Amino acid sequence: MFERLLNPESIAVIGASSNPKKIGYVVLENLKNNGYRGMVYPVNPKGGEILGFRVYPSIENVPEERIDLSIITLPAELTVDIIEDVAKKSRFIIPIAGGFGELGDEGKEREMKLLEAARRYGARIIGPNTVGIYVPSTGVNTALVVPERSRFPKDGDIAFITQSGALGLLTMDSVTMYDVGFSAFINLGNRVDVSENELLEYFGNENKSKVVILYIESFRDGREFMRIAREVSMKKPIVVLKAGRTARGGRAASLHTGALGGSDAVADGAFKQCGVIRAYDEVELVDYARALAYGKPIKGDRIAVVTSAGGVGVVTTDYVESEVRGIGMKMAELSKETKRKLREEVVPFASVENPVDMTAQASDEDYDGVLAALNDDPNVDAILVYALFQTPLISEKLVDIITKWHREGDKPLVVGTIGSDFALEMMRRFERNRVPVYPTIERSVKAVRVLRERAKILEYMEGS
Amino acid sequence: MNEYEAKKMLKRYGINVPRGELIEDLSQLKSLDLSYPLVAKVASENILHKTDVGGVILGISDGEELRSSVEKLMNKFKAPVLVEEMLKGEIEAIIGVLRDPSFGHAIMFGLGGIFTEIFKDVTFRVIPINRKDAESMLEDIKGRKILEGYRGIRVDRESLIDLLLKVSKFVERNPQIEGMDLNPVLLMEDGYAVLDAKIIIKR
Repeated sequence: MFERLLNPESIAVIGASSNPKKIGYVVLENLKNNGYRGMVYPVNPKGGEILGFRVYPSIENVPEERIDLSIITLPAELTVDIIEDVAKKSRFIIPIAGGFGELGDEGKEREMKLLEAARRYGARIIGPNTVGIYVPSTGVNTALVVPERSRFPKDGDIAFITQSGALGLLTMDSVTMYDVGFSAFINLGNRVDVSENELLEYFGNENKSKVVILYIESFRDGREFMRIAREVSMKKPIVVLKAGRTARGGRAASLHTGALGGSDAVADGAFKQCGVIRAYDEVELVDYARALAYGKPIKGDRIAVVTSAGGVGVVTTDYVESEVRGIGMKMAELSKETKRKLREEVVPFASVENPVDMTAQASDEDYDGVLAALNDDPNVDAILVYALFQTPLISEKLVDIITKWHREGDKPLVVGTIGSDFALEMMRRFERNRVPVYPTIERSVKAVRVLRERAKILEYMEGS
Repeated sequence: MNEYEAKKMLKRYGINVPRGELIEDLSQLKSLDLSYPLVAKVASENILHKTDVGGVILGISDGEELRSSVEKLMNKFKAPVLVEEMLKGEIEAIIGVLRDPSFGHAIMFGLGGIFTEIFKDVTFRVIPINRKDAESMLEDIKGRKILEGYRGIRVDRESLIDLLLKVSKFVERNPQIEGMDLNPVLLMEDGYAVLDAKIIIKR
């Protein structure tokens, strides 16, 4: 139902401008530069031409019966003035401007006018007060940022629904350095019409997105969200960064329960009931999304760790097992057969306990042998392998070897890669191969925990 | 709704409360069929925190003490008095219900005393809950080891899970409930008892 929004055949820009500092220009520029292939109709009473597009004096003059997406780049008052004409001719409308419900009663009235017009003509509204949408695969991008100072991610597996436009854009900008891809980005804004619930349902049913992530401050309808999330999470994972954790809810404050129950505590319980994985900041949000989009659920608590740096193994062991900041899982007790293989055939120089420390003598082939042995070990539920490129016998080939085991092996696998420029380049390669890879020990271990949680969610869902 | 009415309602849904009787007239005491020791509590919906205002008398051991206790409470609060058998146990829990603005009715579970008061060691689920939810609520709290048995004190986990499910059902059937505190709930080796109950109904 949102195909025409994300993959529109025609886009009108109401309030198109020839001033490069105005959103009415930037949107056109984005459409031109990001490879959008559909029809573009700038609308401005002055007419003329902008960026090579013919400008139409009003939306009525646009030679389409119904435009798939109309982006209104005018201020709030003017948006209200022309909403009727736009709604008449559009399937989806994105009013970018602020100055609506967030400003109080007067703004709320304006919002109602938008909604009424849209309802009258069967158009749907994203926003207002939104940066809009970004869809890498179709080149649709309504966001206003300075192109020289930020980047937009490439096409990928992650659908991103956010209540905050700026936080959403910053999150995407920050992970482009790892080459992380997104299937779609939608900023709900004041969500006068389209809410997180409909979008979650849509992305749950569509095949392109492997995981849906949300940044939410308040739910439009928590019960409806739970109902949809329950269905979607059986098919694909959902990660929510729910902010506003300290706000107190619960009106019956004369009761203990009222005083103890912030709305966040209730949301936390609700997430557990509908299969939602919770993230606590923007880094976790995308880290978990990548683990869940690329990795396999981990069906037991026993982790095998492979490293060429002893200390990395020790710190990882602490994170896996310790009660202090640990993830409550266990280091696998490797089988006798695995130990024999490792000692006699694969890495006679290494420590064949878990963590398997191959030392700085490790080569690409040694990694291959160790991963093969661990992949056959019935005592191992998942493998955390550190691909550390700083030692002489390790080459770029290690990326292919680990990718092979990620794709062909039975065991869920997470990769840690620590270091600077070279490590970052290798991370990008893993990412392009859709291998879950992380730049620190802690983030690697947390990805393991999330894949474990995903398996538990599926177990919970099956039984209920 | 006063405590007596709240407990009567809970009882109808198979939730265990101590044996007791509402005394509106001292003459009722003669025919009282309860085992000592007893507790006497003022039963008025206007008094939510009975202990704070001296509305509870514990450890009543004979008829004479009972008579003077009930008389005292009646004179002080001009309200009926609930007399109940006094139960013994080491571990107390709190089970509550609230109406969340976005998720609606939610059920809370935690251990009593400092665990909730100081550590806020509680967990919530949206109503209705299923058996897995109830089980995971017991696992959620930091004090979960206490429920697994500690210093020789055992808790009847099964009956606690059953209680959570019954509270959930109770609220589902009575959506007019705005909030509820079952506090404390006495957890015993065999079963449990809701020692105090407050229910707030939407007007």
